[in-house]
Amino acid sequence: MGTARLPAEIRPVLDNGVPAVMVTCSADGVPNTTVLSQVYYVDETHAALSFQFFSKTIRNVRENPRAYVCVADLAGHANWVLQLEFQRSETEGPIFDAMDMQIEAIASATGMSGIFKLRAADIYHVLSVEKLPHSQWLAS
Amino acid sequence: MISGKIVRFLEQRANVAFGGTRDRDLVPHGHRVSGWRVDADGRTLTALVPEQFIAHLVESLEDNGHFALTVEEFPSHETYQFKGRYLRHRPLRHDDVEVVDRIRERFVKNVRPIYTDAPEHVLKAFILKAHLAVEFEVLEIYLQTPGPGAGARLAPLAET
Repeated sequence: MGTARLPAEIRPVLDNGVPAVMVTCSADGVPNTTVLSQVYYVDETHAALSFQFFSKTIRNVRENPRAYVCVADLAGHANWVLQLEFQRSETEGPIFDAMDMQIEAIASATGMSGIFKLRAADIYHVLSVEKLPHSQWLAS
Repeated sequence: MISGKIVRFLEQRANVAFGGTRDRDLVPHGHRVSGWRVDADGRTLTALVPEQFIAHLVESLEDNGHFALTVEEFPSHETYQFKGRYLRHRPLRHDDVEVVDRIRERFVKNVRPIYTDAPEHVLKAFILKAHLAVEFEVLEIYLQTPGPGAGARLAPLAET
């Protein structure tokens, strides 16, 4: 699997405030699921994920860099599925600062001020992007 | 056994869930989950998965048996992760559909104060119609509620 480009239409979805979900896998083959406050658009081929609490996820991607992320597009009646590969972690700089500001805003809006705190911005290479429309699966 | 407190959380308050598997190459895959139920034995969970999210599901489970399920109450963020061993999968039953309908109503009621302007059908669509039931034996439970206790193992339920 090579490189995929994040389309322009995914950018507002990443900013919609709906928590994303992430799946990683340890080196010994145990999957781990977690909820993400933020998926940040870095550039067309990179996304940054907020590292706050999920230490198992952090350990997993350092053992096995592959990660799955699903972002809900409520307005667009779709889910976006990203296959990612962990590259590096940043604890300062413009990406970290921008994510830190967004985390503060999310925390304030959801009553989690003082609990949500960005420890690092983890930078991932985008391997694939898939939009899964779900209008045909709506409840009747 | 899954504790009474967590059973009540699952049956009365939780409103969103997501499952995780991995394939033989250790590539993780995700599966949105529209409903869940605790079986009478107190250690088996059934996850109800929409058709849109069944790619890699059964083949991964039949390859290695690992399944993880995170269940959350939004917007309080009370969250637990259940890890366990795949038992079987089956088509949806009528009572599974009722479970999904209840969770969809609960989700809409709980998020309405946050998404005040969102049309009803947009919020309802977040909980997709389920297609497949996956049963797994819960071996471990982890706290995932944001905060200093996140990641703590609450229950080793079986000898591993």
